[in-house]
Amino acid sequence: MASPQPFIAIERISKSFLADTSAAPIPVIDDISIAIDKGELIVFLGPSGCGKTTLMRIVGGLETASAGRVLIGGKPVTGPDRQKGMVFQSYSSFPWLNVIDNIRFGLKFRDDLDEAEKERRARHYLELVGLKGFESYYVNRISGGMRQRLAIARTLAAGPDVLLMDEPFGALDAQNRDFLQAQLDVIQRSEQKTIIFVTHDVEEAVFLADRIFIFSARPARILQEVRVTDYLPTERNLETKDSETFFKLRNQILGITRAQALRTEQIMMGATPVQ
Amino acid sequence: MAENSPSPGPADEGAGPRAGADPAPAPPPPSVWESLTSFRGSTSRRTDIYVGIAGFAFLLILWSLVTTFGWVGPSFLASIPDVIVRLYGMFAGHNAGHSFLWDIAISIYRVGAAFLLSAVMAIPLGILMSSYRIVNGLSEPIVHFIRYLPVPALVPLTVIWLGIGETSKITLLWIGTFFQLVLLIADDARRVPREYIEIGMTVGAKPRSVLRHIILPAMLPNMVDNLRITLGWCWTYLIVAEIVAANSGIGYVIMASRRYGNVDTIFAGVLTIGIIGLATDQAIRWAHRRYFAYLR
Repeated sequence: MASPQPFIAIERISKSFLADTSAAPIPVIDDISIAIDKGELIVFLGPSGCGKTTLMRIVGGLETASAGRVLIGGKPVTGPDRQKGMVFQSYSSFPWLNVIDNIRFGLKFRDDLDEAEKERRARHYLELVGLKGFESYYVNRISGGMRQRLAIARTLAAGPDVLLMDEPFGALDAQNRDFLQAQLDVIQRSEQKTIIFVTHDVEEAVFLADRIFIFSARPARILQEVRVTDYLPTERNLETKDSETFFKLRNQILGITRAQALRTEQIMMGATPVQ
Repeated sequence: MAENSPSPGPADEGAGPRAGADPAPAPPPPSVWESLTSFRGSTSRRTDIYVGIAGFAFLLILWSLVTTFGWVGPSFLASIPDVIVRLYGMFAGHNAGHSFLWDIAISIYRVGAAFLLSAVMAIPLGILMSSYRIVNGLSEPIVHFIRYLPVPALVPLTVIWLGIGETSKITLLWIGTFFQLVLLIADDARRVPREYIEIGMTVGAKPRSVLRHIILPAMLPNMVDNLRITLGWCWTYLIVAEIVAANSGIGYVIMASRRYGNVDTIFAGVLTIGIIGLATDQAIRWAHRRYFAYLR
C-alpha cells in the first residue's frame, strides 16, 4: 500500500543519452514515477536495452537523470554511497581477494564499527549465503552461483537500506538460478531489505516480486504494474512455480513482454516501430 | 604389410559384438607430438620447457655447423668455442684492464635506474590519466608526440644538455621507456571493469580508497606484464645510450669491438645481453605465476 511518504520515491524521471552519431539526444526513459515502500521487493521487467537498468542506476546514484528526482527516505539521491548496495551480473566480486575478504570489503569503510563487530558481521553474512567452509577460496575457484551469493553477502554486509540487483542471476544455468531465487526469498525474509531487482526473465520476476513494473520498449515507460502479492503468498518456494496461479500470471505477463521485445528489436535495427 | 593394411581377419570379428557389452574404451590420450602440432592444442609446462630448449639447441647446432664447415668466414661469425674462450678472457679482465663483470654491472645499473625512474613516474601518472580527464587531456598529446621521436635522434641534445656522464645515458633510456610505459599503464587502469569501481563506491569507498584498494590490485597483473615488456625495450636503448662517448658497459664493449673487427667479442656481448634479458624475463614470469595465482 503506497503510504503518503514512500520509502523510495522515483519522481518523474526522464533520461536521454547523447549519441556519437546524431546531434539529437536519444530518449531512454520517459517520465517514470514509482513509489516503493520499505521492505518491498520490486522487479523492473522489460526487454534488454529498454532502459530499466538505467533507471535502477539512477536510483543508485550511479547515473544522473535528465529530469526528475529520486528520494530515498525523503532525501534526494545525489551520488553512490553505502545506503544503496549493488549486485552486478558479472565482475560481481574481486578476484584478487578470497571469499571472506570479499565479504570483509563490504565492511572496510564502516568507521562506525569496531573490528570485532566487523568480523562478526562478515561471518554472519558468510553463513547466511551458505558459503561457510569456502572462506579461503578465490573467486575464480568457486561456481557462478556461489559468486553471486558472495556478491549478495558483501553487499548486505555493507549495511545498505536498498539493494539494487542488475540481472544478478542472468548468467547462471537454470538449476542454479532456481536455487538462488529461492535463497534470495529466504534472505529477503530474514533481512527485510528494500530490493529493486532488474530482469528480463518473466518467471524470475513473478517468483521474486511483491510488485512487478513492466517496462515498454525504449524510451521506457511503465506499461503495467502487477501486484504479485494479490495472487501469490509472500513466502514462496520452488513449489510455488508449479502452482496454477503462478503459471497463469506468468503467461499473462509473457504476452505483454513478447510484444515489447519485438518492438525493441525493431528500434535497435533502426526500423520504424510498429505502433 | 600386415601392420599397414587393415586385415579383415578374425581379430575384427571378435571385437565387434563385444564392443556393445563393455563400456566404450576411452580414446587414447593424444601423443605429445599430436598436442604440439594440433590447432590450438594444449601441452604441459614441462613439454613447453623441453621444446624451448630444443629450439635453442637447434640454433646452437646450426651455428656450430656453419662455423665448423667454414660456410661463413671467422671474420663474420665467431665459432662457439671462440666465443666461450673470449667470454672467459673478458671475465678474467684480459680486455680493458677490468673484468667484463664491471661492464655488465654498469649496464644493469643504467637499465635498472632508468627503468625504475620510468616506472615510478609512469605508474602514478598513468593511473591519474585514466582517472581524471584534465590530466589525460593535458598530457596525452604530449606523450604521444614524444613517443614518436626516435631516441637516437635525441642523443646530440642530451649530450649538449647533460654532458656525457651517467645522467645523459639514463635520460636517454628514460625517454625511450617512460613515454611508452605511461600509455600502457593508463590503458591498464582504464580496463579495470566499471563494476569493480562501482562496488567500491557503493560500499562507501572514497576515490582515494577506490584507487588504492580496487584499481591498483585489479590492474596489477596486466601492469606487471607491461613492465616486463618495457624492461626489454630498455635494454634495446642501452646500446644507443652507450654509443655516446661511453667507456664502459656491454654496449660500449660491443661498439668498441666493431672498430677492431673482434667478432668474437661482439658475439660475447650480444649473448650476455640475451642471457640477462631471458633471465629477468623468466624471473618476472615466475613471480607473475606465483603472486597472481588467483587468476587461474
